[in-house]
Amino acid sequence: MTSHVTPDSAVRGVGSDGDRLDPRHSPTPPPAAATPAPRPTKRARIRYNRTESRWGYAFVAPALILFAIMGIYTIGYGLALSFARWNGFSPNWEWVGFQNFTDLLFGSKTYAPRVQAAALNTLWVCIAVPVLTIAVSFPLAIILNSAKRFQGILRSVYFVPYVTTGIAVYLAWQYILEPNGAINALLKALGLGSLSQPQGFLGNPDTALPTLIIVLVWSAVPVAMLLYLTGLQSLDTSVFEAATLDGAGWWRTNTAIVWPLLRATTGIVFLLNLRDALQGFQIFLIMTNGGPGNHTNVLGLETYRLAFLSELAPTLGLASALGWMLFLAALAIALINQRLEKRAQ
Amino acid sequence: MKRHRSLTRTAALATTLALGLTLTACASGGGDAGSGDDKPLTLWTFKQTHATALEKTAEDFKAKTGITVKVQAITPDDAFVTKTQAAAKTGDFPDLLEVHSRGEDFTFGAAGLLENLADKITPEWDKNYLESVRNEGTVTAADFKSSQETGSKIAGVEEGQRLSVPLTIGTFGIVYANKERLAAAGITEAPKTWEDFIAALDAVKKTNPDNGGVTIGLKSPSTGLEWLMQPMGFGELGKEPFEALFKDDKSKNWSSANGTKVLSEYNKITPYWMPGSQTLDIDQADLSFAQGKSSFLVGGTFTLSFLHQNGFDTDNLMTFPVPPPADGAVTDLALAPFSLTGLSLSSASKNKDAALKFIEFVSEPENAKKFSTNALDLAPVDLGADPSTEVGPVLGAMMAAFGEAGPNTYNPGDTSYRPNQYDPGDVGALLMNMTPLAQTDPAQTGAKMAELIDSYWATQKG
Repeated sequence: MTSHVTPDSAVRGVGSDGDRLDPRHSPTPPPAAATPAPRPTKRARIRYNRTESRWGYAFVAPALILFAIMGIYTIGYGLALSFARWNGFSPNWEWVGFQNFTDLLFGSKTYAPRVQAAALNTLWVCIAVPVLTIAVSFPLAIILNSAKRFQGILRSVYFVPYVTTGIAVYLAWQYILEPNGAINALLKALGLGSLSQPQGFLGNPDTALPTLIIVLVWSAVPVAMLLYLTGLQSLDTSVFEAATLDGAGWWRTNTAIVWPLLRATTGIVFLLNLRDALQGFQIFLIMTNGGPGNHTNVLGLETYRLAFLSELAPTLGLASALGWMLFLAALAIALINQRLEKRAQ
Repeated sequence: MKRHRSLTRTAALATTLALGLTLTACASGGGDAGSGDDKPLTLWTFKQTHATALEKTAEDFKAKTGITVKVQAITPDDAFVTKTQAAAKTGDFPDLLEVHSRGEDFTFGAAGLLENLADKITPEWDKNYLESVRNEGTVTAADFKSSQETGSKIAGVEEGQRLSVPLTIGTFGIVYANKERLAAAGITEAPKTWEDFIAALDAVKKTNPDNGGVTIGLKSPSTGLEWLMQPMGFGELGKEPFEALFKDDKSKNWSSANGTKVLSEYNKITPYWMPGSQTLDIDQADLSFAQGKSSFLVGGTFTLSFLHQNGFDTDNLMTFPVPPPADGAVTDLALAPFSLTGLSLSSASKNKDAALKFIEFVSEPENAKKFSTNALDLAPVDLGADPSTEVGPVLGAMMAAFGEAGPNTYNPGDTSYRPNQYDPGDVGALLMNMTPLAQTDPAQTGAKMAELIDSYWATQKG
């Protein structure tokens, strides 16, 4: 049998006669002088397929087992826990049905007000971080893309916050933002002492959350900028040439042509940052621990506090329930985003 | 083709082996609790400042018995909680744990993770401990009753169980002051009243406008509440009215006139906070005092070791307990020492006899005194008529503030009057809105604190 393999069929692994090809075989036709291979019997092909399937399963088994242990088991455990009262130590869980969910939403005077205040802070973060990240990273990408020299160096410089972001950087930010920190010193040196914060930018309840949002944006811009740069470099240059011929200036080109063409990238940047803003808590835990006076508490941090910082109270179930509510919120946002994308297309 | 198949088989075998080895490694990891007779004992502590002192005690223990004890510090507190939670799940608890007395010991014990020491401690051994703290770590009838209520952190304990023995004792509510700066401001005597304290703050602030303030780790909001305001409030009202502040009776709780009175008095400290105190955790606040950024620090007896470790000259310290107001109900306020941390024995330990020997060894007066000296913390043993000779003049002076149990003695370790789900962090956060944040006044703060505490009572009463 001589197999005729088109590029398309090579991708699908199917010969023109519908036979399944052995992927280990070369897709190129054998030389004309070669003796045709004897056609395998149906039973031999079935046996061969079974053996191959077994090998396939053997190879994916490690990954599947690990996923089953680390993924499905954990997810199932977490879901079950959200219906229980437990402190992480006692051998038995106390099943409470949906009480954890209702307590967090409205039922408990202890937890519901905390969750509501954290939800409001989270909402601000969810709006401000994606919007500001896009507002900074899109123009930055355009400027970088049009830079004639040192583009590589500049790109690396702007990417530094991403590769250095972590606990050490957040602690460094703390020092910069404290009452005797660099920002207050700079403001005083510039004659803008009235803008300095005597209690530090994280010590004033009015400036603490906006300051954290700025730090979050600072660490989110590099990836967003890189995504925009990738998008910009994939655009057809003839579109810009046509726009130039039509007399469109820099501003008009970027707002009327580039921005709409990169709408998909903007969607991804928005969604990624929204997800981080909704579920992230590292920066809040390290820099403020939700303070001062719970003014920067967010839902991600509240989940962590209920799980591990509740003085051994049996609130792991509450933490799990809050985690699931956050997951549902993220899912809803993703679905809404998908719907809007489709409508826009 | 044959070679190809052989390669595939080898790859599959290698994958299976790798997975098997990984799982085996996971299964055997951290199995210290299963130490056999010849294996070292493992001790986990959440206090970094105790690690070195415990290691030195372990060295002495090895010299005497030949048994090795490996000490591992796990900090901060949330890391300790997650690590112990994971270990509890996987059966990898260490042989020994340093725990907060009446904290982790009761929670772990309620879950069956700790050995009941009640019938293991001989009367001779028990006599090593100071009588005032001898029963710490033992489940009392009141504890058992509290464990039966909804949402209790210690559901599962049994009355009479002894789940830890004291390792360190001490108290909260100790003010550390920079002696030189106080002297420069004309203050040579420790303040005896709250008014004197505020006057001292004012005087030092005037001579040191940039670093004359007081600090405390308000990033953990419970510190301001429990270490500073509560001792003062106890002195102002006396034992029963003070404890009533935490009940759900509106005529006596934080929303009452008594509550407003205490909060108004406490609010007088607002102008004297070191800027940014609300953003510092306990260690950072201690460090800022050690570095001279503030002139006063509020902590506990345990703070001294941290200051010493961070290079503060302890001869330059003036220490005194948080004083009561001059017109308060208790003018001769004393602070009761209580067991701050204890040692517990894991029920999963396979070498319980050796672990028990170590606990007893630590309690022996000579070894306890050595531990005290090395850790700059107080051991729960009789340190003699002049403790200064054992633990130095500063810690010795602090012990002078200790008082016997009684109506004029504030015991921060007694929390029996609070609801069992009470979270001092959340109540402290509301207090922070008054001072240092100046967002609410005393009456508003009291109303919010009462509302939150009422919600704990409501949960407890179901």
